[in-house]
Amino acid sequence: MDFFIINTLSGLTYGMLLFLMASGLSIVFGLMRVINLAHGSFYLLGSYIAYAFVHNGFNFWLALILATVIVMVLGLIIERLLISRIHGNETAQILLTVGLIFVIGDITLWIWGGNFLSIPVPDLLSATIQVGESQFPAYRLFVILMGVFFAALLWFFENKTHVGMIVRAGVDDMEMVGALGFNIKVIFSAVFIFGAGLAALGGVLGGPILGMYPLMEFEILINALIIVLIGGLGSWKGAFIGAVLIGIIDAFGKIYIPSVSMLIIFGIMVIVLVIKPSGLFGEVEA
Amino acid sequence: MKSTILTIFLLVAAVFVLPFLMSPFLVYMITEVLIMGIFAMSLGLIMGFGGLHSLGHSAFFGLGAYTVVVLSQMVSSIYVLLLVAILIACAFAFVTGLIAIRSKGIFFLMLTFAFTQMLYLIFSQSGYWGGADGLGTSIKPNLGFVELTSPLSLFYLIGGFFILSYLLLRLFVNSPLGTGLQGVMENENRMIALGYNVRNYKVIAYIVAGGFAGLAGGLYAFKTQFASPDLFGVHMAATVIIMVYIGGMGTLFGPVLGAGIYIFLQNYVSTMTDRWSLIMGLIFIALVLFNRGGALHLIQLLIGKVSSYKLNVAKSKGVSLNELAKNKGTE
Repeated sequence: MDFFIINTLSGLTYGMLLFLMASGLSIVFGLMRVINLAHGSFYLLGSYIAYAFVHNGFNFWLALILATVIVMVLGLIIERLLISRIHGNETAQILLTVGLIFVIGDITLWIWGGNFLSIPVPDLLSATIQVGESQFPAYRLFVILMGVFFAALLWFFENKTHVGMIVRAGVDDMEMVGALGFNIKVIFSAVFIFGAGLAALGGVLGGPILGMYPLMEFEILINALIIVLIGGLGSWKGAFIGAVLIGIIDAFGKIYIPSVSMLIIFGIMVIVLVIKPSGLFGEVEA
Repeated sequence: MKSTILTIFLLVAAVFVLPFLMSPFLVYMITEVLIMGIFAMSLGLIMGFGGLHSLGHSAFFGLGAYTVVVLSQMVSSIYVLLLVAILIACAFAFVTGLIAIRSKGIFFLMLTFAFTQMLYLIFSQSGYWGGADGLGTSIKPNLGFVELTSPLSLFYLIGGFFILSYLLLRLFVNSPLGTGLQGVMENENRMIALGYNVRNYKVIAYIVAGGFAGLAGGLYAFKTQFASPDLFGVHMAATVIIMVYIGGMGTLFGPVLGAGIYIFLQNYVSTMTDRWSLIMGLIFIALVLFNRGGALHLIQLLIGKVSSYKLNVAKSKGVSLNELAKNKGTE
């Protein structure tokens, strides 16, 4: 029983990190119809920048905030300078964001080298929690709580605020929102940097658990893409369900069937897409 | 028809004469360009003529290479090896194509990407076929009557396959099937209304493209004697897209030109700096922001075929009539 609980919690931890990453990808696509393949690079950049701060004696929490803000600023620059110029052109979006993956990946390799790095767990959460006979790190529990907190925040944001209302309308028909007098450009930028910030936050929080190494952005990106494909693009709910599903399958699959755990995830994706091409909660038609 | 014969004649002459004019190293590089040229042409077929943007085209290339490397332990005939490589690539294209072609645009792209990553994981994590380290072979192209061992004979062999592929793809593009495919790309709804089975056109084109990519992968295995999971990587998939993009979409020869430019640039830059990845990324971004139709269109423009250039741009990038009219107005 302990074993079961511990593994579920581990799966949830990974799932929440993936949720932070995938929800931004999903919302940005839903609203802007822009697929940002460099979203995984925001994750990686977040963890590397936080590592640099912690390494130079900064407090973990300060590093968390600073890294997130820096990536958000970078996201704003990328959105304004590059992404905003290629709306509606899919090939251009792919090439440009793949180009960004290579540029950001190579710069991080240049600065931080190719070794496996990790952010130390903050002192405040270095304890472990007793689960029956076994122990579970408090930090991982904190990551789960953060994931749930942001899911709740997104729900509140989407359903209870004025901005959320505009975003919901925008997913349905952005042109109409623009015609009603809202400034689409500002909404796009805001949503984009919000997504980038979520990814960076995921990166920093994942730093003590997953660490960071070159080409990690691809692993994260692939998982996030599968999540949004299963959950459906344009909705954070889909991202949440998909992320929890993948996290838990990953945790148990690695123990029982290590060589094919990834295949199960792909299998689920294919089945979902054959039955419902737009994903479980897809709000954007395929 | 006359132009086809002329093109083939020129290609054959060029392939024949090149080794006499160039250093062995250049010949070696052009061998690679020709292989990647077949690969890029096959993607160019579905991207430029079918509007199917795939981020998973490296799947077929990798499958072709693995087929040759794995089977070479049992079979030595190049005909059997390449034929099986093509058939396996076609089969994978058929199965994944049926699922992926239901979706459009970004969804199609992500599905093809996911399928390819699936292969990457299978080949890198499984215990067979060398796992993450890849698998080597010592196979040499054996034509039955003669075994080709020198780099020069390999160049002629691949040159031959390149010309054959170009010819076949050209035939395909100009066939009713190919023109139907272009019709689907330009206006799918109208084609449906006219009674065409749009899905079949796309699936067939996808299978054909997969087959040629499998051929390219098989030839690649003969050249490098090696297959690794990296062949399925996103790097490979993005590289071939960029080749098509550099050369220009909506033509068959553009992607080949793109492959040439890309490979020579890569070799040149790699000798000077380790930051090829960074530079390549910047090239991607610059191309997207400043490219208007690719290198082949640029050359056509320079030659003075301004009118045909405009038409091609309109074809390949889907410029609206309004935009064309606006361009006309400013001149």
